[in-house]
Amino acid sequence: MAAGAPISVQGLTHAFRSGSGSVSALDGVDLEVPAGGYASLIGASGAGKTTLLAILGGLEPPQRGSVVVGDTDLFGLEGDGLARYRRSTVGFVFQHFGLIGTLSALENVELASILTSLPRRARRARTLALLHAVGLGQRTTHKPGELSGGERQRVAIARALANEPRLILADEPTGNLDEASAHGVIELLEQLHAERGCTILVVTHNRAIAGRASQRIALSQGRIVPASNGPSADRESFGLDRRSDGGRSE
Amino acid sequence: MSFRDAFALALKEVMRRLGRSVLTLMAVALAACLLTALVLISRTAETEVLRQLAKGGPLASIKVAAAAPDPSQLANDNARPGSPRDLGPQAARAIGQLPDVTSVVPVITSRMIFVPGPSAGRSEPPYFYDTAVGADLRDPSLLPISVLAGRLPAPGSLTEVAVTPGYLERLRLDPTQPEKVVGDGLEMGSPRVFADLEEQTYRALWQRTEIVGVVAQEAAPGGIVTTIEHTRRAQRWSAASDADTGDLELSDSPYTGLVVVTDGLDRIAKVRRQITDIGYSTSAPENLIASVQRYLNVVEIVLTAIGSIALVIACLGITNALLAAVRERRREIGVLKAIGARDRDVLFVFLIEASLLGALGGVLGSLGGWAAASVVGIVVNSYLTAQGLLGVQLGPSWGVLLLGVLGSTLLASVAGAVPALKAARLPAREAVNES
Repeated sequence: MAAGAPISVQGLTHAFRSGSGSVSALDGVDLEVPAGGYASLIGASGAGKTTLLAILGGLEPPQRGSVVVGDTDLFGLEGDGLARYRRSTVGFVFQHFGLIGTLSALENVELASILTSLPRRARRARTLALLHAVGLGQRTTHKPGELSGGERQRVAIARALANEPRLILADEPTGNLDEASAHGVIELLEQLHAERGCTILVVTHNRAIAGRASQRIALSQGRIVPASNGPSADRESFGLDRRSDGGRSE
Repeated sequence: MSFRDAFALALKEVMRRLGRSVLTLMAVALAACLLTALVLISRTAETEVLRQLAKGGPLASIKVAAAAPDPSQLANDNARPGSPRDLGPQAARAIGQLPDVTSVVPVITSRMIFVPGPSAGRSEPPYFYDTAVGADLRDPSLLPISVLAGRLPAPGSLTEVAVTPGYLERLRLDPTQPEKVVGDGLEMGSPRVFADLEEQTYRALWQRTEIVGVVAQEAAPGGIVTTIEHTRRAQRWSAASDADTGDLELSDSPYTGLVVVTDGLDRIAKVRRQITDIGYSTSAPENLIASVQRYLNVVEIVLTAIGSIALVIACLGITNALLAAVRERRREIGVLKAIGARDRDVLFVFLIEASLLGALGGVLGSLGGWAAASVVGIVVNSYLTAQGLLGVQLGPSWGVLLLGVLGSTLLASVAGAVPALKAARLPAREAVNES
């Protein structure tokens, strides 16, 4: 497993076109997360969390400023360059799990590594090992529809780890889970972080989850603000953020 | 992403929406079926019409007569022959050595007396004069002879003959049941004139033969087909007559004619000119065949166009189905991109999905088309047989079947290009956050 990737963001500004004008999503964001760090990102809906995550994950090229993850400067990367970055450096965990319904748990996890040049046998062995690691060694042939929410998110975590990423980006990973499942998923992420040393950035509305991270980042109206000035801490336990913004674009 | 992985992914997506896939596939299959059936039927019709024109012989054949040419008749399919001229092995060899000539088959005719054996419906066998046409029957495909019932005489046989529908008509037999005459006896007499100072008498060299088949033939004028060995023996016997009374049509020419097969229809005019230069009269249905072929080609183009339009419409169904799939699978496309798939990987998966539907539809449709054409062939054959005509032969045309499959696959790929491009160009972030 490669070491975690440090994140360095300087003066990141990003806007979306909306009708005749533009809407600012990020406004001069500066951010540093050390290699192997465990950070949480909190903020109200529309604060710019998902945009920041999309840019860090290479889903969207940055417009202004500097974004360096590990030794990759994301500014100027697009198309195949961003795809290569996502494939080799980033693992995503989505609130909606992002599993393909026609594929089994094994195939969903393996899907990430078929995009690499890893030999078939090696990737099958790695996939099985990952499913065992997330506690689903006995559910490899089950399709997402046959798994509980917590199990689906575990499959998604295994898939995120399939290409041994240096950075895990989790967007509201517990948003669709009950309290017990949410607790299990967060513990799994933390365990994998400890074992594998990858950098983790978790976007959440839940202050209890955010509080478990070693670094808390808060966004408000596209700017980094002190964590204590973030969104109101009205939910202190797992699983109560089920009706959050659902990871929609901001 | 390797082809195998992309194929597996595409196959799963096809199976996932089985109902929609089956309906789309059925549309392609029906269109491919229509296209294949139309092309097969028009091709068979073309072959059959041309076969009828060539009377069972090769299309690119020329008949050479034992007569001097009339150069002004060169452009005519049925040129008027000039004065008689000996046609022997030397001339046959010279013609055979011409470029563009595939084969030369000599034909010898002989005027003979025929006495049919007893057969059902006839108490007293009549006799009649007719011409026996003898040819080298080792390769009948080189001759304008088609078998309507039974078979051709064995090569070299002196005891087997085939008759034409004219023979059935002469004996007032049912022309729609040519097989009934097969197995009948036929005595053949080669006449010779014996003359002394006072009178001329005819004596015949008799040969008892069996009718082994009924044929349509245009190798030379004559109602009975036999081997060249048979007519050569008859010709020699008759040629030894003491006098030519005229009705024996005696000739010193070793061959009555030649059937010359060329490399192709487009070579016939050139070879006819060369044979005219050698000094013999020729005839060939080249103009008729070329003219008919042009009309048949137009029919084939029209039928192919109808089938192709159906296929294009069916493939638009693939476009529609895949566009719907792209709408439904936006999040999955986004997830694929999030885990590192390039735009071309996504494009590839959707194109394979479209091609898969096209290929499967093409295979099913082409086989269905062949089956439909076979059914049509059976119906047509039963009609032709009832009319006493030779049936059509509809074999699987692998070229047409392959064309059906490849055409469907290619068209489906083109039809899938728009949705595939749409999927590939979906912004990753927008797609992955799709609800």
